[in-house]
Amino acid sequence: MADSGDRRRFIYNLHEQSKPVGAVRWLPSVSPFLRLAAMSVLSPPAIEIHSFSSQSPNPNPDLNLVSSYPLPSSATSLTSFKSHNYTLIAASTSTGSLHIFSVNPYDGKIESQIISISDKDSFHCGPIQSIDVETSSTGECATAGEDGRVNLVLIGEDKVENFRVCESDGLVAYTAVKWGSPVEFVTGGVGPGLQWWDKRRPGGPVAQFKGVWGHGTVTGMIHSLDIHPSRKHTCVVGGSSGAVYAWDLRWQQQAITLAGTGLEAKSQPFSESEVWEVKYDAFTPQVSSTKVLPVMMCSEDGFLAVLQQDERPVQLLEEPCAINSFDIDPQNPSDVIVALEWESVGILSRGREETEMA
Amino acid sequence: MPGIPSDSSSLIPFALEGSSQPPPVYPLQHGLRAPIHRIHISWSRGNLLNVTCLRPPPDQQEEMAREDDGIGGKAIEVLLGGAILEGNIGEHKRRRIAYESVKSYAFLHDKKISLAKMETGDNLSAPALTYWWQYTLEYSKSIRDILGNARLHRPLIEDPKNFLKPEEVEQPIGTKAAWELMEIFYVDMQLLSWLPERLVDWLEGYDSLLSKTETVHSKLAILQRKVTSMRVVEDEPGYWNGLAAALAVGWLDVVAKLLRLHGSYDPDQFDKRETENGLVEAVVLLVSEMPRMRPNLPNGKLGLCYQTKHDYIKGLEKWRVKVSGLESSPFWVHCNHRPTRDGLINLLHILLGDAKHIADATSHWLELFISHLLYIRPLTNGLEGMGNLAEKCMNLKPSANNGLTSLLAGILSENPEIVLADCLKAFGPWIVAHAVDLLTANSEYTDGLLNEERYQLGGASIGELYMLVYAQALASHPLTWQVAPAYLSTCLNQGRGLLEILLLRQPVQNYRVVLKTLEICHLYELGNISTHIMKMAGMYQWKHGHKGLGIYWFQQSRDKTRLSQIAHKLFDNIGKSLSDDSFKQWEGLMELLGSDVGIAGGLEFLHKYREFKRSLQQIVNGGTVEAAKKSTELLVQLMRNPSTPQRFWLPLLLDSVKLLEWRSGPLLGVSETNLLLGKLQELSMAKLRPDFHGGELKPNALGDVRLALAKNLGRAILEES
Repeated sequence: MADSGDRRRFIYNLHEQSKPVGAVRWLPSVSPFLRLAAMSVLSPPAIEIHSFSSQSPNPNPDLNLVSSYPLPSSATSLTSFKSHNYTLIAASTSTGSLHIFSVNPYDGKIESQIISISDKDSFHCGPIQSIDVETSSTGECATAGEDGRVNLVLIGEDKVENFRVCESDGLVAYTAVKWGSPVEFVTGGVGPGLQWWDKRRPGGPVAQFKGVWGHGTVTGMIHSLDIHPSRKHTCVVGGSSGAVYAWDLRWQQQAITLAGTGLEAKSQPFSESEVWEVKYDAFTPQVSSTKVLPVMMCSEDGFLAVLQQDERPVQLLEEPCAINSFDIDPQNPSDVIVALEWESVGILSRGREETEMA
Repeated sequence: MPGIPSDSSSLIPFALEGSSQPPPVYPLQHGLRAPIHRIHISWSRGNLLNVTCLRPPPDQQEEMAREDDGIGGKAIEVLLGGAILEGNIGEHKRRRIAYESVKSYAFLHDKKISLAKMETGDNLSAPALTYWWQYTLEYSKSIRDILGNARLHRPLIEDPKNFLKPEEVEQPIGTKAAWELMEIFYVDMQLLSWLPERLVDWLEGYDSLLSKTETVHSKLAILQRKVTSMRVVEDEPGYWNGLAAALAVGWLDVVAKLLRLHGSYDPDQFDKRETENGLVEAVVLLVSEMPRMRPNLPNGKLGLCYQTKHDYIKGLEKWRVKVSGLESSPFWVHCNHRPTRDGLINLLHILLGDAKHIADATSHWLELFISHLLYIRPLTNGLEGMGNLAEKCMNLKPSANNGLTSLLAGILSENPEIVLADCLKAFGPWIVAHAVDLLTANSEYTDGLLNEERYQLGGASIGELYMLVYAQALASHPLTWQVAPAYLSTCLNQGRGLLEILLLRQPVQNYRVVLKTLEICHLYELGNISTHIMKMAGMYQWKHGHKGLGIYWFQQSRDKTRLSQIAHKLFDNIGKSLSDDSFKQWEGLMELLGSDVGIAGGLEFLHKYREFKRSLQQIVNGGTVEAAKKSTELLVQLMRNPSTPQRFWLPLLLDSVKLLEWRSGPLLGVSETNLLLGKLQELSMAKLRPDFHGGELKPNALGDVRLALAKNLGRAILEES
């Protein structure tokens, strides 16, 4: 069903952790020799910063714990970004709090806490399922919660402002949010599909997409969204039943299925379980400019794969347990970090040392 | 379970009758002032115990007197240690082993099923069986790797004074030792002919586990620590004792290394010690040429290998002649150093198999057993002979038995039930669940014994019972429960039921966890369980105000009853208030419910209804005739529309009273009034039906409406005529 990829060109290292890992993110690194990654862990809930040397003679470099930031409850979403030469990490929790702190980009030590919001009335009451930070201009953090609220948090010089964008009183449970441009973002949730919001037009979403999932026969939830900076009108979505599809704002009524039984029955499913995360993959070359850019996905049944429109999926990993999260290093798109259900983290390097391995 | 606690603030578990060990006591820090009035104990998830301690309820006066006494009770969580494996390894290592081993286990079972399918009969035929032990051996090896494989880790530059393996590399775990022991005896059929030598190797790896103080290993460890500070090693009795002990259990490389530390090798000598040195070297040579009945030796190990019994016996005879030749050699007279002479001769006696010397050199009965196998009865074969020998050794050197030694004794007594029971006691449920396949690999008798369905076990076999025990241990931890279904699914009798219970017990708060549970339901084709779980998740979310998620789960589980209840509730609430906020709520809910509302055009109705209600509000507040007419028009539209639910007829009719009693002439014509009367009639009939949904209306409401309608009809007839 799927090409198993050319494994010879991959280097894959598994790092056992002694606690469950939720989400993993690469951190911007200053030195090419020392790489940093953030991961959310449970028992006790915290965000941990790990470092490892990418140039070490040891073929299996260890992940070293550098610092740890405690959280009041388990992390539900994690993101890292750069702002004014600071490396910042934002995390949301299952009790509705948002935490942003800065990390030293040279050694990964936690420097200072920027924000810690937790307010049942004016912020979220219940798990914040997803957060995303707009990094190109405003630095606003959008938060989407299971309680049906969408908030925008503006991180100012000396104060933090919080605007409620949507209050659905629990009618919609939002599970994913992603910025498209400095003023527009997309949310996904349970119930009425995807919503496109524009800050300039408050009051409600400017566009909606109601995908009926698998003809109503299978569970359908949106777990992850991604928008490519060069194609701001297209949003790629990962959800239940192995569904990965792209929604183009210009052709709102129909989505392009990349994988899964999803919207159209014609495509064969690659994986039939939950697609926990999707991200555009800058490493895989694009086949045609008219098609959806290559997308990487990870799933509950242990697959990590690259999907392309009208092409066979390229399988990168097939693990015996779920892959809960992954991240592609923006600086080195060949490197992927994955979080596995069985308390471990894997680092996959694609394409390097081709001559050596061949 | 409320109860009156004893005066100490401790929890004492119930002790079994006849248990030799005193029950362990775990003190709990609850921080409450005495006295404690009541204690409630309940199980939480997994091994978590919830203990609630309550102080006596304060009297009125007392309360006034001691305002600052603080809290009246406290709830504490107590995590009891789970034993998936034995105690000397960390919790996360245990989970790692559980994660890794499920792959090997599932692989072996898939093989078993596919082989069974190939064979038509119930029992595997002879050719399948010959393959079978190889599969099992592969399985056993992969499990052994999971348990840790860094047994021999040698530094690049060896210090001549370091004769012992660096211990800190990895403390061997007892579970692995037990596993290897079972592999030696039950799985590897090729190597049965050199069983004694395999046991020698096994002891070398795990001698330190036999006892903390009384082993060859502990003796050598003490010597290793001292040897760096010793100036003249051969003067120390510890040196010769260590040598004899190492030789007795066959660690020839250690012996050779230790002998080369002998002072006679030192180049700066005052006295002439050539003869002495020659004798030491002669012993080293004999030790390194010792014949061994095995196919090969790992790197760095000493001895000469013989593949067949015949060659071995010939080699052994020749070598023994050499050893006894050296023993009776005239050179001993020239050896002036007495300890060296006595020590070396002792070593030669051990090599010749002198029972007394061997017994003196070893510490544990198992070591004595191994030395007997090496020097006195190297051709011992068969479990019976070994069993007799082991018994003899136990009598000669009574030492405290631990899990490993009783396991070996159990194996030698050829009783698989005892082996498994001992394993469970010493190493926990993990090893037993995985070892059943080892025990049954080569023995049809054991296979029958362990896989026979037993009435007194509820139809389960002994093997299944152990599997269930392990699955329970896995299921009790929130991180390993996902591994348990793989084992439960192999339990044919009771696994299915327990799997269903396990899945139904998973928390439904987090939708991601629910999806993971549903995935497992899907994998094992448990459709009805997944429906149950979705209903539970829906109830949880609905109760917590997450209406969207709640309805989503109800729709997924096709819970028509609850969905129609929600729809009824929705309609009950409509009309009670007309604020924009609540209207938005209804609108949203109706959108979510979609076709589940039970009426076509639900949303359309809602909008019209609101419009009508608004215009009616204006009239009540004093509106014009036009407004009243428009309102009437809306009412008639609603009444004519087939999508208006019947339950709204009565509220609409009640509302119509306001319009019917309009002061300046009738607003409704004859035909419209007749329409309303018709609806009223239909409603009166429907009221008699059991499924009628009337809402909360006054008993005489229908009468009021009928009166108003009749009045209006009269006025309308007059008007129109």
